[in-house]
Amino acid sequence: MSSPAVQIRSRVASLGEAAVTRARLTVVPQTRRRPAARVPFVFLVSVVLLTGVIGLLMFNTSMQQASFTATRLEQQAATMAAREQVLRMELDDLRDPQRVALRAQQMGMVIPSTPVFLSLEGEVIGEPTPATPEDGVRILPRPEGLPADLRPTVDVVEVPPAP
Amino acid sequence: MPTTPGPSPAPRRSPRAGRLGRRGSPMLRLRFGFLLIAMVLSVFGGRLVQLQGIDPRSYAQMAAAEGVEDVVLPATRGEIVDRTGAPLAGSVAGRMVVADPKMTADDAPALATLLSTELGVDYFALLEKLREEGSRFEYVARRVPATEADRVLELVADEGFAGISLRDDPVRDYPAGDVAANLVGFMGVDEPLGGLERTFDAQLSGTDGHARYTVGSGHRVPLGERSVTKPQDGETLRTTLDLDLQWFVQKVLAEQVQKYRAASGAAVVMDSRSGHLLAVADVPTFDANDPQASPEEDLGSRAFSDVFEPGSVQKVLTAAALVDAGKVTARTRIKVPDRLARQDRAINDWWDHGTIRLTMAGVIAKSSNIGTVLAADALAIPELVGYLNRFGLGRPTGVGVRGETGGLLKSGDVMTSQEKDRVAFGQSLSVNAVQMTAAVNTIANDGVRVSPSLVQGTATADDGSVVGTDVATRERVVSTRAARQTAKMMERVVDPEAGVAPSAQVAGYRVAGKTGTAQRVDPECACYDGSFSLSFGGFAPADDPRFTVYVVIHDPGVDGGGGSVAGPVFSRVMGHVLTKYRVPPTGSAPSRLPVEW
Repeated sequence: MSSPAVQIRSRVASLGEAAVTRARLTVVPQTRRRPAARVPFVFLVSVVLLTGVIGLLMFNTSMQQASFTATRLEQQAATMAAREQVLRMELDDLRDPQRVALRAQQMGMVIPSTPVFLSLEGEVIGEPTPATPEDGVRILPRPEGLPADLRPTVDVVEVPPAP
Repeated sequence: MPTTPGPSPAPRRSPRAGRLGRRGSPMLRLRFGFLLIAMVLSVFGGRLVQLQGIDPRSYAQMAAAEGVEDVVLPATRGEIVDRTGAPLAGSVAGRMVVADPKMTADDAPALATLLSTELGVDYFALLEKLREEGSRFEYVARRVPATEADRVLELVADEGFAGISLRDDPVRDYPAGDVAANLVGFMGVDEPLGGLERTFDAQLSGTDGHARYTVGSGHRVPLGERSVTKPQDGETLRTTLDLDLQWFVQKVLAEQVQKYRAASGAAVVMDSRSGHLLAVADVPTFDANDPQASPEEDLGSRAFSDVFEPGSVQKVLTAAALVDAGKVTARTRIKVPDRLARQDRAINDWWDHGTIRLTMAGVIAKSSNIGTVLAADALAIPELVGYLNRFGLGRPTGVGVRGETGGLLKSGDVMTSQEKDRVAFGQSLSVNAVQMTAAVNTIANDGVRVSPSLVQGTATADDGSVVGTDVATRERVVSTRAARQTAKMMERVVDPEAGVAPSAQVAGYRVAGKTGTAQRVDPECACYDGSFSLSFGGFAPADDPRFTVYVVIHDPGVDGGGGSVAGPVFSRVMGHVLTKYRVPPTGSAPSRLPVEW
């Protein structure tokens, strides 16, 4: 009754033995773990952190500086633009024909009343007439007369004809 | 909170007993403390609901607005320039000086002294403003040039005063003062009040911009909020005027108006070929920088708004129509009686004569009413009115000047024959000066009426109409032959022997023109009031016209006719414009048309 069982067991045992002999397991030698040097890592992290913080600070500062500069330059630009406009206005005022004419008149110049042309060939077209003060145009308005209230009244006394 | 009985009931039974009595029982304190905490927490809770639940937006906005500045960037108003680009009206950066009375009230007298001397404002009015109770905003001065305002603000800061600040407030400047002020108009405190400034305000004013940015102690925060909408500056309005010529015409006209003690006067210079108005002068006029110094009726352009009977200048239009219709030629012989009896009243000439024999050219040269009426008999009423309509009478010129009056010309089917007789020599119809200039210019421009224009290119007026040189119209009114023949007749007007207006002659040139002396109508009684409108319209050189000048002087206090009063102005202006635009004399032989037979 037990013979087949014994047979199987022995077969199993032999099988196991073969497997065991084939795969002789050895324990992995325990390598001695050297603890990693912490200092460089900490140093690296600190450097990165510090660079970051300082960089950020400097970036911020430079942006602030740029903002100050921008504000200053903008103000300067606005002032200069205003100055330019005022100068342009002054120039336009100086160019006012009334002013130019007054200055010219003070220098004794008169606007000619008769057109005369000198061609490139030297030919005179038109009748050259000297401009005289009579040709001048009144540039300033006539002085206003006295208002009616201030004008002296003239009393006309009719003298009866002598008999 | 649980209300289990406390672990030490003894103190409860006798609270004031023992050393615990002073601080009370721990349970009571605990409960009291819990209650207090609960109350405080519920207040917080309530506040939380109020902040987040009921109105979360407004607080978020308030937080965002803290330190954010919202600035209006004012658009620069466009310039109005003449044909060469010289400014008639320009804008410069300006500031309004404002005060916060809450801060200035204490230093008011000293501050008022400083500001009134620097800005030229009234001391007492300023003192009142600086002390205004309950106000936080008062104008000290407006439209101060920017550099000036900045200097004053610095001075205020140096003296240690507070409460004065500046805001943008552009200044409108009219460099030439009264030159072309009649057309350009002027600005009120905030809006244009007249002339081109008002008509073309939409184009000139532009659109204001906005800027929002976060500000910290006067500087912009770099990463803060920042948005800018740039202002759209107004566009330049380019006119066809010539600033220097306009000035000259105004001076010459003003001199004559004063010399003859006239009520007013107008003179128009037009480029014959293009219809550009080079000068439109009005006397009296006003200073655009100080419009309040002049009476209100002087603040517009009478050349457009005043209508009057054209008088004898009208005869050239009648003559051109007659020649075009083939009814007369310059040599047509007309027997002119001393007076002409018509249905309602007799027609006279301006000078006494017996029966004289004039040619058509003579009728024009001598300005004979009777001769014109006799010649015009050949033309039916609707025909004559049709011609005059095409000459531009009875309808506004539409150049874009405010308050233009179109004048009056009855239509052909309601005009009586008596009215037609009078219309033929310039009565019973009314025109404005620019209309008449364009009509006379039609003859200068070989019979083609070119509509006058004041704006170069195109511009849209406030009534929606588009005006300008680009939309100018050309319409043939009379044939080239008729126009040339009329021009030759008009040449005889300024002839010292044949004509009536030798003073309108320009030495060396062939000038064609026509005088006009018209009775003025009093609008109140609709009758002639005894005063006159003296005019002269013409062009030169007569055989190749370049410029048309029309001068009218209203209600002179001294006797005179169109030739003697308006003629010299015409001559002076025409001589100047020919010189300025370098138009040499043509050198051809002048018209020798016979005036008598």
